[in-house]
Amino acid sequence: MLGTFWKEVRGTLSRVVKHPYFGFILLGVALLIVRRFAELGMVSPSLYKSISSMMIYSIIALGFSLLLGYAGLASLGTAGFVGLGTYFIGHFSGTLQKPFGITLLVALGGAIVLGAVVGFVSLRIEGMYLAIITLGLSEILKEVFKSFTAFTNGVTGLTFRNFMMFGKPVPDAAVDQAIILVFVLVIIATLNIINSPTGRALLAMKNSDSAAQSMGIGLMKYRLLAFVLATVYAVIAGLLYMADIKFSIPGTWSLDFSLNILAAVVVGGAQSILGILLGVFMIFGLNMTVLQNIPFFRQYPDATWILSGVLIILVTMFYPGGLIRLLQALRLKIILLVRNLRKRWRKYRYGEDD
Amino acid sequence: MAKMIERMLLRFRLSGLGRLRSQKNMIESYLPIREEIVRQRSARAIQWMEFLHEAKMAPLGNAAGRPTATVAAAREAKVQALRDRYRLKEKALAQTRKRAEAKGPLSPEAIAGFEESGRKLVESRDRRIAAILAPSRRSSLSEAEALRKFLEVETEQTEILARKKAALRAKEEKHLDAIRKRAARQIAHLDGKIAALRKMVLERHPAQTGDADLPENVLLRLQNLSMRFGGLLAVDNLSFDVKQGEIFGLIGPNGAGKTTIFNCITRFYRPTSGEMFYRRNAVEVIRLNDFPVHQIIRQGIVRTFQNVELVWELSVLDNLLVAAHTVYRSGFFAQLLHTPGLRREENVLKAKALGVLQTLGLSAYAYAFPYGLPYGILKKIELARTLMANPRLIILDEPAAGLNDKETEELAVLIRKIRDDYKCTIFLVEHDMGLVMDICDTVCAISFGRMLAIGTPAAIQADPLVRAAYLGEAS
Repeated sequence: MLGTFWKEVRGTLSRVVKHPYFGFILLGVALLIVRRFAELGMVSPSLYKSISSMMIYSIIALGFSLLLGYAGLASLGTAGFVGLGTYFIGHFSGTLQKPFGITLLVALGGAIVLGAVVGFVSLRIEGMYLAIITLGLSEILKEVFKSFTAFTNGVTGLTFRNFMMFGKPVPDAAVDQAIILVFVLVIIATLNIINSPTGRALLAMKNSDSAAQSMGIGLMKYRLLAFVLATVYAVIAGLLYMADIKFSIPGTWSLDFSLNILAAVVVGGAQSILGILLGVFMIFGLNMTVLQNIPFFRQYPDATWILSGVLIILVTMFYPGGLIRLLQALRLKIILLVRNLRKRWRKYRYGEDD
Repeated sequence: MAKMIERMLLRFRLSGLGRLRSQKNMIESYLPIREEIVRQRSARAIQWMEFLHEAKMAPLGNAAGRPTATVAAAREAKVQALRDRYRLKEKALAQTRKRAEAKGPLSPEAIAGFEESGRKLVESRDRRIAAILAPSRRSSLSEAEALRKFLEVETEQTEILARKKAALRAKEEKHLDAIRKRAARQIAHLDGKIAALRKMVLERHPAQTGDADLPENVLLRLQNLSMRFGGLLAVDNLSFDVKQGEIFGLIGPNGAGKTTIFNCITRFYRPTSGEMFYRRNAVEVIRLNDFPVHQIIRQGIVRTFQNVELVWELSVLDNLLVAAHTVYRSGFFAQLLHTPGLRREENVLKAKALGVLQTLGLSAYAYAFPYGLPYGILKKIELARTLMANPRLIILDEPAAGLNDKETEELAVLIRKIRDDYKCTIFLVEHDMGLVMDICDTVCAISFGRMLAIGTPAAIQADPLVRAAYLGEAS
């Protein structure tokens, strides 16, 4: 009799747990708890700082994965877009002391225009050549950051104090919470896009341009959309970066940064959100949280690049789908192993042949 | 100028008509899904009521020594589980004994020990089963008293339960009725609008024939179509008509330009010269030359490819939803937020996709990924995909390529079925003469881009030019 009751409860619970948002909302709650611990001094502030930068990098990587993993467009312009985002915030919110809303509007507008321009270019140029063009664009942006001192304060870098909201500066704790909130919201938005006609259209476009077109998917619209989405994600991440790190110099926004994002997406798995989070941890987080505590790497900080390189080679050689595929394969192996062991035990104990 | 304005007005009104029709279609197809949701919800409520009833009755019944039906069933299940467990234990004992025997003959003590264990197992099993079937009473009331109370409460509670259930059913019925009525009202409203708009279009716009005199029953007309790739004339001044509701076959030796013609119709190639006219609906004939590739499907022309072009990362069902891309009406922000409207649309289209898969006998593969499925199945999935966008003309590029004889026979039946069930016209290119001669109403034979003959399959088979092109006979 209680069986019915439990069945009902279990049904509801499993529906909640299996909801695609559930895991990520849980992650957000866990991050909020970690943040609270950091505030209480139970987690070191530097560790928390690296966690929040990982979240920001994840946002960039998610936008990039929509581009690479879904639309199949290779771009190396990520760094430029993120940098532009930081300078928008630094200039409008910092130097000019405009309210937050205006800054956000200007930044998003800039992102959409820039994304549309690059998307338009992508209609003509594909594959490696597109990567080279976007790389060029990124380098141009970097030089602009260096020389356009009124806007960016040049090579010395732009320092940013605080956002103004409702006439008051926003406290750091609120910024930390906002980063977690935006992180979870971006993941949810990405999930929604992936599981909607747009996401499927992007995948169809990646598989075959002509088949996609014959199904009514306009290349122009969706290529522009993919680039606009990626730049909007990058600019949002730039905004959070400036709020968190409070400092931006042109040197950060070079090819290294774009390549690292590319590496994170490739290492983790370009089509899985969990994979991308994993990739960001492997490329950025491992260095910031674990390796820096090892004396060898503290002495030779550049040695971490060797590790990343080896990781990329290994993953692309053995698991082209990314580390997430490795985890999935491992899970399957364990399930099979347990099943096999169970079968053998039954045969030994009960003499069953089936 | 006036003509252009009139044409624009017509386009505008027709798109309005299309929107109204798709709204109506949406309401109609969502109704059964919504009804199912309501029914499920009330079924769950009834289950919960029954559970509460049981929770009230079970302790009383136990005290009175009269287990209720659910309790009895639960006990039965428990007993069965126990029996299974003991059967395993007995098997394990037998196995141990077998292993001991394999080492050498057993001593009398060992045999006695095994038999003793077996006896003990049976004993304990019987004891535990008895304990389950007749649990000790824990009640201050005497048995007779408990029984009296139980019977009293039972009649009362059963009545209450029946009343509540009836009330819930009535409520559900009322709710369903309201939903149906609202849908009917909306549909009637839309019908009125559609009829009015349709009348207006028919009155104000005399049948538009574009630049061609397209007879009523012709769906597609190619007029002096030529396609030149550099020095190669792939299609040479070709003209033919495809009639509404027929299966039209295009045949020709390799390199005759069949696929080039398809690519011209679906606008992947821009023909060097020539016109293509297509009857979009009762009043409108359009010139296909004016449309970009991705707009072709919106006119009701869907094509398949020679090599299977599925999205390998998506399940079969999602592949069908990709093909329904033009049917969706929710915009980007609705998709970003997954609004209820989008979810409704997804539900309707998923139901439609499952229906299509069932028609083609692919239900088993709905949630599978296409990667690694047999080629015949993949071809069928491509065929299923064409049906998602409400097509009027389906263009099949070598549907039987790579299929074995049995699959080809199935395909013939399927193509006819699609034509009849979905009321569309089918235009196919095929090498398999058996298939073409079997299903086509009209066959057109071409060679080196030039028309050899057009007519019924029998006429084509008898045509000396076709025989010469295929068999190299001197004509």
